[in-house]
Amino acid sequence: MTFPSGTLLAQSALSGVFIGSLYGLLGLGVGLAWGLLHVINLAHFAFAFLAAYLCYQLASVGGMDPLLTLALIVPLFAALGAALQWVLERFDVSPLNSLLATFGIAAIIEAGIQWEWTADFRKLESVYAGRTFKVGVLFVPLPELLTLLLSLILAFGIWAAMRYTNLGRALRALAEDAPIAAAFGINRRAHALVLAGVCGALAGIAGVCLALTYTLTPSQIYAWVGVVFAAVMLGGLGSALGPLTGGIVIGVSEAVTMAFVSPSWAPIVSFSLLIGLLLLKPERS
Amino acid sequence: MLELRDLRVEYGAAPALWGVSLAIPERKLVCIVGPNGAGKTTLINAIAGLHRAKSGRIVMDGTDMTSLPSHRYCSAGIAIVPEGRRLFTRMSVRENLEVGSYTRAARKDRDRSLDYICTLFPAVRDKLDSVAGSLSGGQQQMVAIGRALMARPRLLLLDEPSLGLSPLIVQAMFGAIREVNAAGTAVLLVEQNVANALEIADFAYLLEEGRIVAEGAPNVLFNNPELRRAYLGIVPGH
Repeated sequence: MTFPSGTLLAQSALSGVFIGSLYGLLGLGVGLAWGLLHVINLAHFAFAFLAAYLCYQLASVGGMDPLLTLALIVPLFAALGAALQWVLERFDVSPLNSLLATFGIAAIIEAGIQWEWTADFRKLESVYAGRTFKVGVLFVPLPELLTLLLSLILAFGIWAAMRYTNLGRALRALAEDAPIAAAFGINRRAHALVLAGVCGALAGIAGVCLALTYTLTPSQIYAWVGVVFAAVMLGGLGSALGPLTGGIVIGVSEAVTMAFVSPSWAPIVSFSLLIGLLLLKPERS
Repeated sequence: MLELRDLRVEYGAAPALWGVSLAIPERKLVCIVGPNGAGKTTLINAIAGLHRAKSGRIVMDGTDMTSLPSHRYCSAGIAIVPEGRRLFTRMSVRENLEVGSYTRAARKDRDRSLDYICTLFPAVRDKLDSVAGSLSGGQQQMVAIGRALMARPRLLLLDEPSLGLSPLIVQAMFGAIREVNAAGTAVLLVEQNVANALEIADFAYLLEEGRIVAEGAPNVLFNNPELRRAYLGIVPGH
């Protein structure tokens, strides 16, 4: 390799950390619902995109600060998440069927987005978009940095809540043995709704980060599924810190591969990592 | 305190109950014996709210519990040590105990309950920060009893607490059960280890094929030579 590769490597790794934190942020909600509620929620990705388009609408047409849109988006998507859980419970949907049902919901949301905002590319031009600062030789874009910070705060916040609050312990107990947890007074349905609401809110926050950092088009919903699932599996289902760790590992390996080999090799590296890990530690899945 | 009236339960592959009536008075230690498959576990799970009754009534302190959801049973004063313990194996011992004191009333006494359990089972104190799944069978059984006691129950349900444990630990376990009962908690005990169970019980029921076939004070009930042979393995004249 040629001389500037040190800087290139560092810059690639950094952008890998940034994209990885978005994988992790999306994966956080997916992994919690999968591990603790036994719902494999493909609609999570569609919720995130819907939130991204709402953020785009409120910020670029309504003139709101993109971060202020969280005040509307978080409660709205918490309610959506809880409503989805209520419906899945109402029809007693099994984990596998939850995958199919939420895929259908994702397709409906995609169609809705396409109808409202068309399939054209949309890019939120916000006050944050152009801001980049330089740390040493590295360029740090502000929207990506915000995404990383939000992911870290949320992952560590949820990790602490799972460990140190009655709600968190109750959720973990329910995930392991719901009937016995109920025998100790834990209302399973109420807790499931709360957790699904948290997951919905996480989808909303991930959507705002998406709008800040990416160009939006409805079909992109599915582009994130494979790699986010990989991050969740790498990190462990139901874990709070796992998806972020897994996401960053995948993001960095992808970014470095893109820079030094070829962009088309990136998915091969990240999915080989996943398959390798599942072969070595099958109990993770 | 607790009363079952003509309780019928059919639950999947579990043995069914065909109209069971029994009473557990305040502060008493009541024992249910019977052969495998008689429905003892189905009965104790129904009282804990884990199985739905098909008909009949579960009445606690005059309140009909039958149609309440299972998470309402605990705050009525009922806590279970289920068959096979069923600890939350991925959580620490302390967290298991904290889940035991989840109800609002039990939460207030959390620290005091924890102290009491560590006095009752000193081995638990050293294991508080271990993952529950890593404990030995005897230690797990102590945590399972501790978890139930954390709920501050007035009725403690114990399903085969001595199963698979060494004789020494079984003795300690029965000692602890007696101590809990002496402190004022009513106990319903299901046991294979009939001789031990009857020694500490105030009253016993014999369950066969989902029906109560005999009841009485243990010494009266098991004066019957046939029952002695069948359940205590004691042949008259030996």
